[in-house]
Amino acid sequence: MTILEVKDLKKTYTTRLGGNQVQALKGVTFSAEEGEYVAIMGESGSGKTTLLNILAALDKPTGGSVTLDGKHLSEVKDAALASFRRENLGFVFQEFNLLDTFSLKDNILLPLVLSGKSVSEMKTRLLPVAESLGIGDILNKYPYEVSGGQKQRAAAARALITHPKIILADEPTGALDSQSASDLLRVFEKINREGQTILMVTHSTDAASHAGRVLFIRDGVVFHQIYKGNCSNEQFYQKISDTLTMLKKGGEVK
Amino acid sequence: MSLYSRMAAQNIRKNARFFLPRIGTEAGLVTCFYIMLTLALDDRISRVKGGNYIPTFMWMGTAILALLSVVLMLYINRFLMKQRKREFGVYNVLGMEKRHVGRVLFFENTFSSLLSVAGGLLVGMIFYKLCSLLICRLLQTGIVAGFYYVSPTTVLPTAAFFLLVDALVFLINRVGIALMKPVELLQGGSVGEKEPKVRWILLLLGVMMLGAGYFIALTTKSPLEALEFFFLSVMLIIIGTYFLFVSGSIFVLKALKRNEKFYYRPQNMPAVAGLLYRMKQNAVGLASIAILSTGVLVMISTTITLYAGMEGVLDKNYPHELYFEAGISNDENQTTFFPPDELESMLRSAAEKNGVTIKTVEQNEYLYAAYLLKDNRLYVSGETDDYDLTDVGNYFFITQEAYRRLSGENIDLRGNQIAVCSIYNPSGIKELTGTLVIHGEEYEIRQNLYHYPISASYLASSFACYGVVVSDEEALNGIYLKQKEANGQYASEMTKRIAVTFADREKAAAAGDSLDADLRSALRKKAGDDAVISYSLDTRWKAKEAMLGMFGTLLFLGVLLGTVCLFATALIIYFKQISEGYEDRSRFQIMEKIGMSRQEVMRTIRRQVLLVFFLPLAVAGLHMAVVFPMLTGILRVLMLFSVKLFVFCSLGTFAVFALVYTLIYLGTSRTYYRIVH
Repeated sequence: MTILEVKDLKKTYTTRLGGNQVQALKGVTFSAEEGEYVAIMGESGSGKTTLLNILAALDKPTGGSVTLDGKHLSEVKDAALASFRRENLGFVFQEFNLLDTFSLKDNILLPLVLSGKSVSEMKTRLLPVAESLGIGDILNKYPYEVSGGQKQRAAAARALITHPKIILADEPTGALDSQSASDLLRVFEKINREGQTILMVTHSTDAASHAGRVLFIRDGVVFHQIYKGNCSNEQFYQKISDTLTMLKKGGEVK
Repeated sequence: MSLYSRMAAQNIRKNARFFLPRIGTEAGLVTCFYIMLTLALDDRISRVKGGNYIPTFMWMGTAILALLSVVLMLYINRFLMKQRKREFGVYNVLGMEKRHVGRVLFFENTFSSLLSVAGGLLVGMIFYKLCSLLICRLLQTGIVAGFYYVSPTTVLPTAAFFLLVDALVFLINRVGIALMKPVELLQGGSVGEKEPKVRWILLLLGVMMLGAGYFIALTTKSPLEALEFFFLSVMLIIIGTYFLFVSGSIFVLKALKRNEKFYYRPQNMPAVAGLLYRMKQNAVGLASIAILSTGVLVMISTTITLYAGMEGVLDKNYPHELYFEAGISNDENQTTFFPPDELESMLRSAAEKNGVTIKTVEQNEYLYAAYLLKDNRLYVSGETDDYDLTDVGNYFFITQEAYRRLSGENIDLRGNQIAVCSIYNPSGIKELTGTLVIHGEEYEIRQNLYHYPISASYLASSFACYGVVVSDEEALNGIYLKQKEANGQYASEMTKRIAVTFADREKAAAAGDSLDADLRSALRKKAGDDAVISYSLDTRWKAKEAMLGMFGTLLFLGVLLGTVCLFATALIIYFKQISEGYEDRSRFQIMEKIGMSRQEVMRTIRRQVLLVFFLPLAVAGLHMAVVFPMLTGILRVLMLFSVKLFVFCSLGTFAVFALVYTLIYLGTSRTYYRIVH
């Protein structure tokens, strides 16, 4: 079943001075099935951040449509946008975006608090998520007391606890050392196996090799995509790497 | 212009948000300092009627202001430097050495310092005329021109003082930069802070001290004790407030946090966590706001009450307009008083000469002496050691004949019967009943009087004051003689005097000085050139002049210092808003990203900010209410009895203060919202 459908998405920025137009997205089309793990790769300026912002309903497209679980994003009213995001989407950011005034536990619970869930429900939801991410024993610590990897797992827990339809991850391994990064990627694989749909933007080949499918974006369009199929992570890594090299060469030829 | 001075000038322009308040504050302080110092030194002002209190009070004010200036400038500087740490870090990373950063700092400091001192002095010179005009109006001197006063004797010390303060500030910053590592500078304020722990000892101390301060304030009944314990109570309340803000706030917030049903609500969670996180740095600032606010309230409400209640105090003290007594002292320091008839004829001719019409003249003779009152027995000093201050009192003895003539009321006293009037008692009027033993003789208190015709400037003291009416001359004389024996060389003589009212009070007051001079020369003529004359002319108008001088100057001082404190409060609030705005910006951005709507964010911010800013105001109001009875007692010592007037003035002051406070809050929170969004 298709959970996310992106059709001919366009985004044009007008620069503040002079009125020059910059086309960040020129017509992106793809879809994701429920339970899929999709990585989006592209170089800086390829438009992947713009794409993610639009998927996250933080930005509005100039053309095309995004449909999440049968609902057009453009139909969600501004006033309901915050709660729509809270209830349907989970976010993991490169910079963790944990609040330093909250303990990890409170950071994780924050979306539930904002949705007005009861304390008992919060408690029943918290522990399984925290345990599965391996942060059950540091819940009462504050973000500045734990490592980057632990912070990112707490951020992932915050994204998961609302049972979102899809998790949007923006360079989740970008600020982590390699050990923490591979730990986190294993966590993502695990939650994906448990049925969670994940969409991850990255330019790390290693990160992308954990996904089931990789989309390559260049100059505002989906340029290419490859499936993992039955490959191992290592084989898939090689495939992605080859594709990137090819794309680069192709780019030069073009 | 060197590179460094150009950079400094640019920094000041770019960081106007921080520098402007700093320069403005310093200029304001310079202005007030200059005006107060000049008022203290300008002998034209101290020579106006009632102006003799001005130098003392203004020196006091200058000292307080000097202290306040140092504290405020250091406070502002701390904020400024904290905000700019990162900037200095960038300089350092870009290859500027610390001494170069120091040089930029030096120029910045010099520019802003010169700007504020010069600006402040200029404004001060302009406003000095206004202030001298205002003070003349308060003192009702009749002079309306005001003064200009520009002289190096006040300009130079003012400039020197503030340049010194700025030099101190620079020194502190320079040392701070020297000790800092560039990495730390770059990180600036973003270092995580641990969740504060409840400091139980502080909490306990705070509760105890505030409790003790409140207890003293609420249980002190007698005005004398109020005067005695006021300072102690205020100190306890101030320290208690600081301790409680530091520890109690965290205690309460933690308790709120533990209450999960309350804490895990969208409207509570960010506010409680935010406050808890921030209380450590904020508690002292909030406590300072509360204390400063209380100070403003107390200063302004009491000085206004005193000034406004002056006529009432005068009426109580001066039923007549003029009391005149005179005598010739011999070598043993004993005085022979002039008979009242002679006094009266002297006054009548002096009055005629000055064109003043006398309405009534009462002659009387009285004995005025001090005693200790214990268990309905009067002791002379030295007779007993077992007493406290509230036992001391001044006693006026007159005959029933004199009482009848002065007050028009008949009393029927025979032999050892007396009538007693408790004229004034700082610890509350107490009636004497039964008998009173005076110099070993027992007198029967036949009745209590509620009106006593003799009251004079003696009265304005912190001691109790009783009037005693005896049956006749013989009885009065008997007490006089025994008193003379008991007190030896400190004995009081019988005072003969006349109490006068005039047809036209204002006219008599206007002729006061000339009346005084004429009486003096008449006395001299009578007594001969070699005699030592003791002379007392106690007039309502002189008393009014003195009171106007004292209460008018106090009011001026109260309002000026009150304004400075209010300004300091505003400033602390402003800097809090700014520094917190920058800290909160990233937090609210995160909350928006994870699904908090803008309205929810705004609601949370408003809740948090409201609580933080109106808590000190509420505390100030509470403090004021608690010390109110004590202040009433102190005002009572100053002869101001109208509690209604004081309540009215206090409520008025609080209302105006709350309004200004709210305006400050609204103004600064706009800056905060702008930063956050």
